[in-house]
Amino acid sequence: MKLAILFGGQSYEHEISIVSATTLKEKLCDFELTFIFCDQDHTLYLIDPTQMKAQTFSSGNYAKAPVLTLQQGGFVRKKRFGSETLTMPVLNVIHGGDGEDGTIAGLLDFYKIPYIGPRREASVFSFDKRYTKYLAEALGVKVLNYEILHKEGSREVTMSYPFIVKPSRLGSSIGVSVVKNAEALDYALDVAFEFDESVIVEPFIEGVKEYNLAGFSAKGVMHYSIVEEPQKSDFLDFDKKYLDFSRSATVHEADLDERSVTALRHNFKTLYDGLFEGALIRCDFFIIEGEVYLNEINPIPGSMANYLFKDFVSAITMLLEDLPSFNRIHVNYQYIHTISAAKGK
Amino acid sequence: MAQKRIEYAGNTFDISYTIDNPTAKRDIAILHGWGSNKELMRGAFQKCFATLRHLYIDLPGFGASSNSVVLTTQEYATILKIFLKTVHFSGDVVLGHSFGGKVATLLQPKLLVLVASSGILVPKPLRVRMKIALFKALKPVGAARWRSFFVAEDATTLSPVMYETFKNVVNEDFRESFAAFQGEALLCFAKDDTATPLYTAYEIERLMTKARVVVFEGDHYFFLNENLHVNSEVTRSLQMMES
Repeated sequence: MKLAILFGGQSYEHEISIVSATTLKEKLCDFELTFIFCDQDHTLYLIDPTQMKAQTFSSGNYAKAPVLTLQQGGFVRKKRFGSETLTMPVLNVIHGGDGEDGTIAGLLDFYKIPYIGPRREASVFSFDKRYTKYLAEALGVKVLNYEILHKEGSREVTMSYPFIVKPSRLGSSIGVSVVKNAEALDYALDVAFEFDESVIVEPFIEGVKEYNLAGFSAKGVMHYSIVEEPQKSDFLDFDKKYLDFSRSATVHEADLDERSVTALRHNFKTLYDGLFEGALIRCDFFIIEGEVYLNEINPIPGSMANYLFKDFVSAITMLLEDLPSFNRIHVNYQYIHTISAAKGK
Repeated sequence: MAQKRIEYAGNTFDISYTIDNPTAKRDIAILHGWGSNKELMRGAFQKCFATLRHLYIDLPGFGASSNSVVLTTQEYATILKIFLKTVHFSGDVVLGHSFGGKVATLLQPKLLVLVASSGILVPKPLRVRMKIALFKALKPVGAARWRSFFVAEDATTLSPVMYETFKNVVNEDFRESFAAFQGEALLCFAKDDTATPLYTAYEIERLMTKARVVVFEGDHYFFLNENLHVNSEVTRSLQMMES
């Protein structure tokens, strides 16, 4: 089965995407893989599988690879005489920025290239943590209280310490701080505002139980991963999460009773249905006093959360076999014809 | 990293900075040299100065800090003062490398640490003087076309604004400012430095009232290897000031 892994992108998580792509090269070796790298200036390169190592990108050597362009249905590689069209579905592993904000989704939809990844609407709701809150609240999924601050606005936070400050539109813990007292607030906000114009402030609950659940829908059936309880100190900082992205070993299932697992799955399905079809996503939840709260939605989780699935290859295969179809509107100029006919022309 | 937006003379500057050791009561602000950035300085000093809060700052136009206007060294210092006020800088120690040393001097800290600071004019090597003479001679025939051949290495990749700024700050005789400095000064210079040779340290020492020269092994970037030595000398200066 053919599959192109699309990675890189203009994103703060560009390098993490490279790590994800190299991890997936191993995990998906049963597929006939093609690697397409999007550099920070939006040029696409066809990377030889033997060159899939971090060094190729950090050294700039990728620029020697053949450049790809897009046309309806596929990628085009120019050759000395003529050109070659590459047609295969795409697995979008561009974390953050381009990959999760709807840019790549729009691009692939426009060119009718089938892909695994969040669609445009799903991207909008999961990329910006503010909109994720709105979505969850509208669907009846609980979220922690929050406050929103803007770069040019007031820096007053009304909730009590400690709390957590996050840029609204960034993953991988970049720019995130736990603020324990008033003296530390200003710096934490300066850190977050370096990455985004708005930040979200949430209470920090010491020792809160966090659970990650991944899943996808194929042929009308929801397929769930195991539930993982991630290890953490205060929270996963960038370095730890970065290491997390290259994970490929399976993890131990969280020790949870059946009722809790059912509740997590129910919340996951509520969020997923009708919005995330075509994507394998990971939702991070808290359980506080027996109640499930959504922390965040990762529409392109690190290394596609392969370590949470017992049979990751089948998961990707099932998804590929049931990707959302492209709605084609047929323009038949009927209206213009009718008017022309009425005018007798 | 963090970023703070400040206004100076009708212009906006996004100043990128990093704080380490945030709970310490006294501060050290650390300024990089021309063409460098705070990460280089942090790489050297992150594990040093245990009793101080570290403020690593990208000067406007360098690293992740923005700049869209032509600046002078004095303006750099004024912008820094505005910035330092917003982070409640204690005013205790400012360490500056090369060009950053000149800016540091104008900030009037209690302890000034000049690391291979520029400010004393050093005769240009013969090769450079010949290049300048040649450029001037060829100007009537349009030497500007080959400008990139003549421009200093420090200036080849600069934006027009930063190139004009470079012309403002390079070859600047800073003796008056050194003489006006009233606090304690620690002058860290290296034996094999050709950009800011060791003898310039002694000249700065003569100009200042309370200065101490420490000689290091190495070149213009000696502090990258001698970081712990710099640390112990700063500690010593602080102890001397307290006793």
